[in-house]
Amino acid sequence: MIRIEHLSKNFGNLSVLRDISAEIEKGEVISIIGPSGSGKSTFLRCVNLLDRPTSGKISINGVNILDRHTDVARVRQKMNMVFQAFNLFTHLTVLENLTLAPVKLLGRSRQEAERKGHDLLRLIGLGEKSMSYPDELSGGQKQRVAIARCLAMEPEIILFDEPTSALDPTMVSEVLSVIRRLAKEGLTMLIVTHEMDFARDVSTRVFYLDEGTIYEQGTPGEIFDNPCKEKTKAFIRRQQSLYQRLFSADFDLYSLNAEVESFCSRHLVPLKSRHDLTLLIEEVLQLYCASSSSFPIDITVNYSEKTGQLELLLESPPGSANPLELQGEDYALGLSIIGNLLQDRKFTHSENRNILKLYLKNP
Amino acid sequence: MTIETIKQTSALVVAVSGRMDAVTAPEYEKKINELLDSGEVSYVVDFGQLEYISSAGLRALLSTTRRIKDKQGCILLANIVGNVKEVFEMSGFGSIFPVHATVDEALKMLPG
Repeated sequence: MIRIEHLSKNFGNLSVLRDISAEIEKGEVISIIGPSGSGKSTFLRCVNLLDRPTSGKISINGVNILDRHTDVARVRQKMNMVFQAFNLFTHLTVLENLTLAPVKLLGRSRQEAERKGHDLLRLIGLGEKSMSYPDELSGGQKQRVAIARCLAMEPEIILFDEPTSALDPTMVSEVLSVIRRLAKEGLTMLIVTHEMDFARDVSTRVFYLDEGTIYEQGTPGEIFDNPCKEKTKAFIRRQQSLYQRLFSADFDLYSLNAEVESFCSRHLVPLKSRHDLTLLIEEVLQLYCASSSSFPIDITVNYSEKTGQLELLLESPPGSANPLELQGEDYALGLSIIGNLLQDRKFTHSENRNILKLYLKNP
Repeated sequence: MTIETIKQTSALVVAVSGRMDAVTAPEYEKKINELLDSGEVSYVVDFGQLEYISSAGLRALLSTTRRIKDKQGCILLANIVGNVKEVFEMSGFGSIFPVHATVDEALKMLPG
């Protein structure tokens, strides 16, 4: 139904979308997720020609919509868009918002458009608001009217650009439930969203956008439960990271502690977890210090804001030993403390680095 | 780390506050060694204000305790709470050292 080939979009020297290709079948619901600035909205706006792609090809039912001779207004009738900011006509009643385009663009009679408008308002639970003006509605109601206005044009495809981002949290669910209902009815939809639970429930496929491209795509199960790529994993787990490099065994423990403390404060890591992380770092580094070949060490602290999981990754030169395998009385106390702090550990050798991954118990 | 001492009839009370880690543990060892050299052999260490201890701190405790015992002295630990208590438990130190709930309780254990 929608075929996107090598789509790119630049704003001046800034490359926002890079060589995106995708195919979307009729009836599919695609959620587009990713960090802010990853090009999600630009992608949607390019598909709807609100932003003209710099290069590439977009075909809808075999028609290249980037062709100079394509009737853009006609394309937009088939592929309507719901915006974050509702964009209702505030000087028109709710019903007039729904009937204006069908009368003007589809050539429907006023009576027919109004009958359809009333049906749609009942469908979205706002049957009694037909004579209200947008300013008399709540944010959630306005967005539902915007969706109904979109449906009034009988589109084959609906694009949603963060439809709940401008809403009070209490109003998000009423809008999402309308979109869920449309998904069940088999409408083809592309939805840019930050509502991860919703994306998981409603989608047939999820596109994770990063670095201006579809960095990873898959079923909701694949993307949310078992993402393959590092950036997808970090995004899904709402992972925050801290990187530090220690050049020698004479590193400044207090400077490192200050960085860790500041990172933990910024991301609201619970106090008990902060203590355990600081203790783990000190104990492990004391073991690394037993061998001078262990340096430089690259330390990464990963904190999942979603699960509360803290991970400590230590990357050392390839000749260095696994410090957790040190033997002797001098190391027994540290190893005992480390063993009590961890829920899991992994030591891997690679060509260039040895990597020790430590997973703290989640208190 | 801050170390304050208060002389009591039966022992010297050593109050340790702050952090006892790889950086500060040597200070603790140095202080106890100085006190030992000055003739003090009975100690109650008050950990009530200690916020953090690592294995480096525990090793300093062990080594100073050995020196105190070598001089026929004694050392009792008191007021171990919070994170410090947990580290004592996970390292097994709680069972090696007699730990007392308060400084007064520890002092009562010593001959006046």
